[in-house]
Amino acid sequence: MYEYFDHTADLGLRITATTFEDLLAEAGFALFSTLVENLSGVKPQREVTVEIVQANPVWLFFDWLTELLFLFESRHLLLCQFQIQFCDSKMTAICRGDSFCPKNNLQKHEIKAITYHELKVEQNEGNWIAEVILDI
Amino acid sequence: MSKGAYKGPLERIDDYCWRIPKSYKDGMRVDGLIYVDSTLVDQLCSDQAPEQVANVACLPGIQMASLAMPDIHWGYGFCIGGVCATDPEQGGVISPGGVGYDINCGIRLVRTNLHCSEVKPHLQHLIDRLFSSLPCGIGKEGNYHFKKKELKKLLEQGVPFLLNRGLATELDLQRTEAQGCLAGAEPDNLSERAIERGAKQCGTLGSGNHFVEVQVIDQIFDQKAATVFGLEQHMVCVMIHSGSRGLGYQVCDDSLRQLRGAASKYGIYLPDQQLACAPANSHEGKHYIGAMRAAANFAWCNRQLLLWQTREVFSEVFGRAWEHLQMFQIYDVAHNIAKFERHAVGNNSFKKLWVHRKGATRAFPANHPELPEEYRQIGQPVLIPGDMGTASWVLVGQPKSMEKTFGTTCHGAGRILSRTAAVKEARGRLIDQELLERGIIARAQSRQGLAEEHSQAYKDVDHIVEVVHQAGLSKKVARLRPMGVIKG
Repeated sequence: MYEYFDHTADLGLRITATTFEDLLAEAGFALFSTLVENLSGVKPQREVTVEIVQANPVWLFFDWLTELLFLFESRHLLLCQFQIQFCDSKMTAICRGDSFCPKNNLQKHEIKAITYHELKVEQNEGNWIAEVILDI
Repeated sequence: MSKGAYKGPLERIDDYCWRIPKSYKDGMRVDGLIYVDSTLVDQLCSDQAPEQVANVACLPGIQMASLAMPDIHWGYGFCIGGVCATDPEQGGVISPGGVGYDINCGIRLVRTNLHCSEVKPHLQHLIDRLFSSLPCGIGKEGNYHFKKKELKKLLEQGVPFLLNRGLATELDLQRTEAQGCLAGAEPDNLSERAIERGAKQCGTLGSGNHFVEVQVIDQIFDQKAATVFGLEQHMVCVMIHSGSRGLGYQVCDDSLRQLRGAASKYGIYLPDQQLACAPANSHEGKHYIGAMRAAANFAWCNRQLLLWQTREVFSEVFGRAWEHLQMFQIYDVAHNIAKFERHAVGNNSFKKLWVHRKGATRAFPANHPELPEEYRQIGQPVLIPGDMGTASWVLVGQPKSMEKTFGTTCHGAGRILSRTAAVKEARGRLIDQELLERGIIARAQSRQGLAEEHSQAYKDVDHIVEVVHQAGLSKKVARLRPMGVIKG
């Protein structure tokens, strides 16, 4: 589950999930849903694999979103499905989506960067919660 | 998520300046000084921006005070509207947070010889053509692509690179801050990712609060300065607001990553980890400076190509060459940058300092050697964008800016509503229709973006400008109102 929260100039994103893998998947969906309207309507026709080695969950979360943003910017990919697995500190994510098409994918925001500002990734009573501010 | 109101001390110095004393918290090396009036002071304390001013006061080598302009609001590490100068000879630091993600985001203003009555019949067509011709919005590639080798030359040379390719004039260059190039740029300091993001984005507008706006000069306040700048009432102008696009964002991102351990390495106490920094003369500091300068040069080229494309559209719509329309540049200013500048440091001595301006604009007074010759008698034009429904301003730098704020003034209106609050406020409203009813044509890639950028989301720019005018930082020259705007 994800929701937006207030920040004066930019956009705060809060994600909750029961597992860390689900947290990352939901965060990916939330990120692309911040870029365009109706991400659920994107067909999973293209596939890309993302691998990140990082033991610290906060930095992993940050690097994951940064990588996804780069995939959008450089390869114009809109990703809507995420299959995530861990082997020790190595995360492997199979991501599916389609190419961004301005005529079909209505724009919401340009995300300049994922920021470190009040970045939080924690586990609380069995649930994972993350908060991140996106520079718009 | 907001930490809520600032509850620390604020002492009134005079009608336009409030102080956070350095006794407020451990680690503060200087006071904080915030340029607001009594009306803005209440708004000031609604978020943690003053706390950020106090945090910046802890940075090593900081001179005089940690400063903030009246358009202050909450940012990352530094507040937006924040200014600080550090002395590298005293271990002064350089901080990417004091520049921002959008390195050299800034404003360019261009005049024409068109009266608003000549433009009005063609306005819809003009705005439609600008919207379809200028690449704006997410995922848009520019009309100019540069191979890696060429891009590196562009990063090193700035606008002169485009001059050599017939995409700029000598006058464009002369009337750009730093003449469109910071010497000492190091393109090799950029990551492959930054290069990849920049290769196809030069000459694109971006999104969010970036815009190209057709404006008309509504009111002249200083006739002498207006004459020197080439401004007349009812004259149609174009204002461009954009920055270094994905290349700059990536440079900042890479730098923050590289500086993760720097504070600890150099024994720097940081009250906020977002103030990631390194001594300016360290390896890490020099690396960031070289990359930041390259990104700044990219931004100037970005605005130059946006201007070039705008000139082409005007020429097409009005049926004559842009030179015959006298679409000459007034000036171009950066409002997210760090510059190595010579400033007075007390006891009548001068030093070169790293002046960080994050959401703040340089405002050099008359006789400053960095100004173009034709402006030297009067001072530097300062370009202040309003929101799309109100006004923008041309000011002129004043001597008190050198005395009080390292030659700096405000940069815009400053947000008061978050994006979510702005959208809530706009619910059920058609912002573009509201603007049209006031005679302003707006075209935007994102309806949500338009809703987030409506006038009520921002402070009153006239009020902000009045504060810097009264504080003696910069003087009012002309007020411009929007006729039409394109946004990404």
